[in-house]
Amino acid sequence: MSVWVYGEQKSELGLEGTITRKLEEDLYEVFIGPQHPGSGHMRIIIRIDGDIIVEADPDMGYVHRTMEKLSEGREWIKNVPLFERMAIHDACNVTVSYVMALERILGIEPPPRAKYLRTLLCEINRIAAHLYGFGIFGVFIGHSTMYMWSFADREVMVELAEKLTGARLTHSYPIPGGARRDMPQDFPQAARKAVRYFRRRLDEYRKIFLDNPVTRKRLEGVGIIPKKIAAELGVVGPVARASGIKYDARLAEPYDAYDEVEFEVPVYEEGDALARAWVKFEEIKQSLRIIEQAVDWLEKHPREAPIHERFWAKAPPLWKKVFEAEGRVKLLPLMANLKLPPGRAMARSETARGEIVYYVESDGKTTPYRVRIVSPSARNAIVFKYIAPGYKVMDLPTIYGSIDYFPPEADR
Amino acid sequence: MPAKPVVKRLPARKGLFAGFKGNVDAITIGLKYLVDPKRFTLIYPNEYIKLDPGYRGFIVLDPKKCIHCSSCARICPAAAMRMIKRMEEDPKTGKPKMKLWPVINYQRCIFCGYCVDVCPTEALYTVPYHDIVYENMAEMDWSLETFVKPPEHPTAKEGIPVKYIVDEEKGLVKVRAEEVEEK
Ligand code: SF4
Ligand code: SF4
Repeated sequence: MSVWVYGEQKSELGLEGTITRKLEEDLYEVFIGPQHPGSGHMRIIIRIDGDIIVEADPDMGYVHRTMEKLSEGREWIKNVPLFERMAIHDACNVTVSYVMALERILGIEPPPRAKYLRTLLCEINRIAAHLYGFGIFGVFIGHSTMYMWSFADREVMVELAEKLTGARLTHSYPIPGGARRDMPQDFPQAARKAVRYFRRRLDEYRKIFLDNPVTRKRLEGVGIIPKKIAAELGVVGPVARASGIKYDARLAEPYDAYDEVEFEVPVYEEGDALARAWVKFEEIKQSLRIIEQAVDWLEKHPREAPIHERFWAKAPPLWKKVFEAEGRVKLLPLMANLKLPPGRAMARSETARGEIVYYVESDGKTTPYRVRIVSPSARNAIVFKYIAPGYKVMDLPTIYGSIDYFPPEADR
Repeated sequence: MPAKPVVKRLPARKGLFAGFKGNVDAITIGLKYLVDPKRFTLIYPNEYIKLDPGYRGFIVLDPKKCIHCSSCARICPAAAMRMIKRMEEDPKTGKPKMKLWPVINYQRCIFCGYCVDVCPTEALYTVPYHDIVYENMAEMDWSLETFVKPPEHPTAKEGIPVKYIVDEEKGLVKVRAEEVEEK
């Protein structure tokens, strides 16, 4: 016999898991959440037969903030701080594609220096977000050491981001045409130190968490998403890559400096929670490589304002003076009421949790006509419904933690 | 050189003693940090972080530089900055004249720093601290008189300034601010 998933047998879907039988009368319904079951507010309604999940129903939307609609009433540049609030610890990654869409409508391309600076911050954010994910994952499965360690080490990346942008989290760093600050003089040294620190530290992470037999027992073979199913469900990011799908927005459509830096996109084929943890672990290593390359590049090239000519050529002398003294790119007052030509554009970027897609439509006004956001967590939430059945209740935190679901980003 | 996907395999767990070795490794690491912990807790408010000058902290207005252009209020994404009207004496003619002045509402400000970056005369500047406590919401809506001078920073009066620096061995380390500045 096999597990029923909304009228279909799980074996027919080609999914594996513990075999159980359907017992209508004896099913218990358990509400997990919405009081913060994990890294945010959502509810998973599960029906259990003994200890086995028979049905799971992700109930999202507790932190829906009508972001797409709100954006229609705000000037173009004001939406950057708004969209950032989807995932504040991954701020640059989630907003860079919105800014890229605006640049496409404007028909401008940021200068190489701006591209490298954005890439640098994106990777700093990616490491910070992965560490955040690891921390939450750790505490989910009762490994509070991992929680403490990764939150403490995340602070290193937050510190770097603060040096670069002046803010710990919501950096509001990318703007149409470029980036808002150049790196300070002491940044390269600090970044290189951080990279060397993490290289050594990650080995300890592996020993205490990934290779720890206790953790491994809880992750291995849990929440298996076969490659075909992963493609059909349309999951993205580390979840897809752990199932053998070679897909990454940085690979499919390199943006910013990603076509110039050298890095690998780790892919695993097992598709279980352990593979998903390893994808993130390996990605941190690759991000460290990118940070090194970006810092090297930025050091070698002359310090020019990382913004498009259009917003800089006619700037008054004070603008240039401030940039030379502080590395701060001042904005022209026209930025507030920037008019975009009518048009539409799409852009995507790879956030820590997967690909985010923006569709932006302009009707020639100072505010968007429509902004559509497809965020990675919204696409990954479907995993709960189709993958959780068949596993034990205690495996649910493992599945939740391993897909690194983030409600504020999914609900928008 | 663009990225390339690399298929990897999970490390194998084979052999009779694999689990044993894993446990020993994990416990050894745990013990190492039990004996030699890596702590950098800030003993606030006895200590406080001396932030870098580029930090986007509280925003203050330099009234001598302001040209009343309203750019800051227009770019503010949170509607924290707004312009108020003031009757003032014109220094040239001596007649009263209407002038616009920006004021900030810290209930709303998200510290994005757009206003500082957009101001054409650098009349707005940030102070590198943000730990200011208010007794009620109304106090956070600054008047023009409050806005023109840097807010008081009470922790700086009592606490010891420290800085966090990135270290190769320990990640972050807490040091006295003077030690960093000497270097
Ligand atoms: S920092 Fe941002 S939110 Fe605050 S007043 Fe300036 S523009 Fe407005
Ligand atoms: S942008 Fe600067 S000069 Fe203009 S009103 Fe604001 S503070 Fe004054």
